[in-house]
Amino acid sequence: MGLMDQVELPQPVKYVFNWGRKYSLWCFNFGLACCAIEFIAASTSRHDFIRHGVIPFAHGPRQADLLVVSGTLTDKMAPSVKRLYEEMPEPKYVISFGSCANCGGPYWDSYSVTKGVDQIIPVDVYVPGCPPRPEALLDGIIALQDRIQGESLKDRIAGRRLDPITLGADAPLAIEGATGGASGGPT
Amino acid sequence: MTEVLARRDRALTPEETEKLLRDRLGDGITGSTVEFATFTLHVAPGSWHAAAALCRDEQLLAYDMFDNLLGVDAREDGFDVVAVLYSTSTGNRICLRTRCDGGRDNPVCDSITDIYRGADWMERETWDMFGIEFVGHPGLEPRILTVENFEGWPLRKDFHLTSRVAKPWPGVAEPAELDEDGQVIERVPKIGDAPGPYDLDKAMAAQAKAINAPEVDELEEGADEPESSGSADDGSDGDGSAEAEPEFDQETFDRLIAEGKSERIARSKAKAALIKKKRAAAAAGDAAAGADAGDDDPAAAAAAKADERRKAQAEARAKKAAERAADDDEDAANDAGDSAAQEGDA
Ligand code: SF4
Repeated sequence: MGLMDQVELPQPVKYVFNWGRKYSLWCFNFGLACCAIEFIAASTSRHDFIRHGVIPFAHGPRQADLLVVSGTLTDKMAPSVKRLYEEMPEPKYVISFGSCANCGGPYWDSYSVTKGVDQIIPVDVYVPGCPPRPEALLDGIIALQDRIQGESLKDRIAGRRLDPITLGADAPLAIEGATGGASGGPT
Repeated sequence: MTEVLARRDRALTPEETEKLLRDRLGDGITGSTVEFATFTLHVAPGSWHAAAALCRDEQLLAYDMFDNLLGVDAREDGFDVVAVLYSTSTGNRICLRTRCDGGRDNPVCDSITDIYRGADWMERETWDMFGIEFVGHPGLEPRILTVENFEGWPLRKDFHLTSRVAKPWPGVAEPAELDEDGQVIERVPKIGDAPGPYDLDKAMAAQAKAINAPEVDELEEGADEPESSGSADDGSDGDGSAEAEPEFDQETFDRLIAEGKSERIARSKAKAALIKKKRAAAAAGDAAAGADAGDDDPAAAAAAKADERRKAQAEARAKKAAERAADDDEDAANDAGDSAAQEGDA
């Protein structure tokens, strides 16, 4: 990216640049368990996150901007997630979707489940719920887009990340009752 | 290969199957059960391979499809291996079950991959989860279900869940945490307090036994006895009017109502009283029949035996009832006393 990771863009350029980026998120879906079904529901016509500019099912990690880990990550699978994440080009974002991806969920005491995807890759937005409703994913996407809009591309490309957003905890929910299920409702 | 004789309309019954395999393997077959419509044949570990080979190759059995293979933790006794076979020509399904050699420390079992190729991954998974070594398997390592360097055998009952050692189970969802009145025992979770599945299982089994034993005991005995005894006919002749009788003992019922008990309680106690009375009557009838029948009647001996057994049971029951009555209310004590007296008379 040459200059971009050394020089801060002037504000108007930054605005247009980020505006373009936030509505063109190619999404790489890591569907691992039940939550993947909710992800698919969010991509279909009823909830339709394409209208928010998220393009599902990128052809591969090298074309993707956003990784959505939805489902139970096992120790056996963890190396693959890490590797595919590393194949994505910067700037890249991660949404951890569902309790399993956040912290192990109902399998917190299992012998084989990784206690959260953040143990292996940095996460930008946590969406709580088991499973979260599709609206919760939309909520997470909107929160991420807000962040991208205000972001300094220089920092991002240099790998400096802001603290992650946890939906329902430190970010107000845009959609009423968006998260559901056992492990995290709106506060 | 010659023509397969097995057909759906000639499918062998479990008994015939067992007989056939016993003929071939002798002591290699140690027993059989039919539970939940599943025929399980218990095989000695030494005959495991031979039994599977017979099941496939015997023309009347023709178990040509390997369905499943799994391990079972048999606690102190070690581990079991269960293989499920299916026959596409007869539609029969069979479970072969064996107890591994080597106890808990070093369980080994013969591999049946040379008979059924499909057993390959199943045996690897059983190795992964239970650490049962399959002799003759082409290669159990590397592990396929867990990470390659995983240590321990996660489906063994004594496997420790490290997460639970670091952080106790946050709820009181397990039945083992109820006291005898069914109330939740308040427990302050503390670090290191980690009920493994093994201890929990044991506690739950003991508790279920304690809760269920008396009721199940009485009801089943009451229902089974006429059929199970050798002199079923005599017994039912004795009280042929059984169907016409009310479903509970009117006398006891009236007395309890008069004493101000609720109808539900009175009814259930009266029911128990009736069952006891009926049993006593049946025992009396048997005794009479036994006396009537001459020495040449082979049923007489059986009837006498059944009668003896029944008396012993009645005594035991009376004793149990008396024990229970000690911490029950007075009525129950009276009840038990009454019926115990009646049984004693019989
Ligand atoms: S969080 Fe719940 S719904 Fe989602 S993958 Fe885990 S168990 Fe399934």
